[in-house]
Amino acid sequence: MKRMLFCLMLIAGLVGTRSWSAEPVWFGHTNAQRVLLINSAMDLASFAPILKEFVILHPDVRVAYRDVNTLELYYQTIREQKKPQASLVISSAMDLHLKLVNDGYAQTYQSSFTDRLPDNFKWRNQLFAFSLEPIVMLVNKKEFPGELPEDRQTLLQTIRQNEKTMTKRIGTYDIRQSGVGYLLASQDARQADVTWGRLLEAFGSHDVQTYCCTHDIIDDVASGKLVLGYNLLGSYASQRAQEDDRLKMILPKDYTLMLMRAALIPKGAPNAEDAGIFLDFLLSDKAQKMMQTQGLLFPIRPDLNNPNDPYVVNAPGPTGIIELDQQLLVGRDYAKQKRFIRNWEMALEISDED
Amino acid sequence: MWQKSPNHRNLSEEEEKKALANAPSLRFRFILAGVLVIGVIAGLAINLIFDYSQKLADLSYDRLLRSALLQMDENVGLMRNEVSIDIPWSAFATLAQAEEDRVFYKVESLEQGFITGYQDLDSQPPQPPVSDQIQFYNQEYSGEMVRFAWVQRHITDPETAQTVRIILGQTRLSREQMASAVTQKAVEVVVFIVLVAITLIIIGSHLVLRPLHRIERALEERAMGDLTPIDINTPKETHHLKVAINHFMARLQTNLEQLENYTADAAHQLRTPLASLRALAENARDISSLGNSPERQHQALENIVNQCDTLSQTVTLLLNQAVVSHRLQTHRLEPIDLLAPITASCREQAVTALHQGVHLSLDCELKETMILGDSFSIQQMMQNLIENAVRYSRADVDQATEVIVQVSEFERFYRIKVIDYGNGIPDIEKERVFERFYRGRYDIAGSGVGLAMVKDIVDHHSARIQILDTEPKGTTFQVDFAKFRFDEGTL
Repeated sequence: MKRMLFCLMLIAGLVGTRSWSAEPVWFGHTNAQRVLLINSAMDLASFAPILKEFVILHPDVRVAYRDVNTLELYYQTIREQKKPQASLVISSAMDLHLKLVNDGYAQTYQSSFTDRLPDNFKWRNQLFAFSLEPIVMLVNKKEFPGELPEDRQTLLQTIRQNEKTMTKRIGTYDIRQSGVGYLLASQDARQADVTWGRLLEAFGSHDVQTYCCTHDIIDDVASGKLVLGYNLLGSYASQRAQEDDRLKMILPKDYTLMLMRAALIPKGAPNAEDAGIFLDFLLSDKAQKMMQTQGLLFPIRPDLNNPNDPYVVNAPGPTGIIELDQQLLVGRDYAKQKRFIRNWEMALEISDED
Repeated sequence: MWQKSPNHRNLSEEEEKKALANAPSLRFRFILAGVLVIGVIAGLAINLIFDYSQKLADLSYDRLLRSALLQMDENVGLMRNEVSIDIPWSAFATLAQAEEDRVFYKVESLEQGFITGYQDLDSQPPQPPVSDQIQFYNQEYSGEMVRFAWVQRHITDPETAQTVRIILGQTRLSREQMASAVTQKAVEVVVFIVLVAITLIIIGSHLVLRPLHRIERALEERAMGDLTPIDINTPKETHHLKVAINHFMARLQTNLEQLENYTADAAHQLRTPLASLRALAENARDISSLGNSPERQHQALENIVNQCDTLSQTVTLLLNQAVVSHRLQTHRLEPIDLLAPITASCREQAVTALHQGVHLSLDCELKETMILGDSFSIQQMMQNLIENAVRYSRADVDQATEVIVQVSEFERFYRIKVIDYGNGIPDIEKERVFERFYRGRYDIAGSGVGLAMVKDIVDHHSARIQILDTEPKGTTFQVDFAKFRFDEGTL
């Protein structure tokens, strides 16, 4: 455990600290009595309206929002276990969050809102999911050679047929840097081991570009530097695809992974009461509806009255919901993780020294 | 005349209530005993259930743990002489059936050291390690009690041999939930049974005691003086009580009748002498008013004095009779020497008899004459018999100057004879002399109750009395008392 921790911290240290020392963004009255610090791996664009609404409803609370990378979020929470700064920690790396709970870094919270939450969207009353979004491919319609891919098979074919065009023009997560990237890759490997192997081989032979964060990939796809982003978070992709005509979001037909965003209150967190109130707000019908109508996130219980709503998932194929339970620990097994990253590095022909 | 409670008085209603409150309740005892027994049984049952439900929960969830452990174990292999493990997703999917339980594990090789999992987990099992044998145990980890499964295995290939240990644990939340669910259900059932049982006991106690209440009501509702037997249907168990009550009432009735008789006797006894006394007194008054001679007046007053004596005797007799009657009711018969009261009685009467010119003699050669009896009553009996004999002896001059009391022994009884040489009793009257107020001859003073009392005493001692004729003339009263035998008496 310590060795693994050290190992991963080394990686994290090497990768740099893009968001780790970032100053928090403040919401609400400056003279509000209480402060709620949220550490979150979520783009502020998707979250700001919800935070604004919250401080209007609770004027005596001032919210400080700090955007932190998923992997860094994990280490920061462990580092601060003695004296946590954040009242609430939100992440899309479900596996890391579940591991935090399993290893005893979270505290229990229960309210009528959490009780209403279905069992598969919470764990031990310490980890609560508030959104469920698809994992998608995003393509640049103009730049993409040939027909747009429906699934991973057709993507493979396109890569093979258009080797030149595709080289260096596919972007995906660096699983060493991004917690959610690793989770998605490991889930791909679990869902379809052979397809994943071929895809990884194809990525490697065509110099796939690796990124730390979703919006960097989206930016590059939009600009035409990339033709395709693989395994992107549906909420961000959907937002940009709606604004930008050049972009097209594709839900893979063979299977579409479904990812939850989850929140936990660290053990010994300051102002845990307000963290609970905010959590209740996230799970409330009001916030859930805001996510859908304002196109921020995919809510857990979408309003199905509007079938063409882009925030209602209409997957063409089967969906593979990443379950919020102990199985996630397997992906984060020290030996398995080491082996998986080594295989990934070998396939992509990169190493730490690069 | 019959035994009374020493301090008898009517209890006030309040005192009765207080006494009722202090009295032990049969029903309460019955219910208490029942509830205690059921309580103990229920306690044992619940204790067993607690134990069993824990075992059951561990048994069920240990299967999951074992299955997960074996899946992990199967995926341990050697890669370039190094132990490696690829934990299958399904192993943890198995564990995820215990939905809320945290999972901890550690894989290590004795040669290579830590391989994966939680490094600070203690890999030493509580029992001596035996390869390929899974051990289950509870141990605290990460602030919670955790159920661990432990296994150790040797892996060999041509170049290397290693010993791999896998420790897999999950917290006990689901187990406790299952155990408490089982316990709760079972306890509910036990509590239900207990409640039903207690209700049945309460109802049962009511039903069992109802016949008693019925007897009680039947007695309460009786009219004053109604001493007829209770005639209600009661179960077998209370039958004896009913019989006893009826028996008691019969005795009470007899007592009452005796009391009535006695009162009638007494009234009768006292009325005649009083009337006669009054007549004599009037006579004396008239004589004095007529100015007759002082001798006649003296004679009249003498008659009054005599009559007073007679009245006094009668009152004494009645008192004695009351005492005897009381003794017969209350004193148990005990072994006594029959001779003692007879001798005493003879001694007492001898002088009186002599005054009347009768010689009283006791004829007895026996040393010891033990019977079951009441000494005072027998003395009274003897006194009456002797008085009677003396009284009737005097009537005639001829030869009748002797009364003999004779005691003789037979095989099974002692016989007492009181012999006089008076005129004797005609055969027709013999049957009636024991009747109350029957008097053979009205010229001789007597109350008419003496022999009736004798008969009572004789009956009470289960003795036998006979009236025989004395040769050549006179009457012999013959009484037989059964001998007292020690072997019988002790029984």
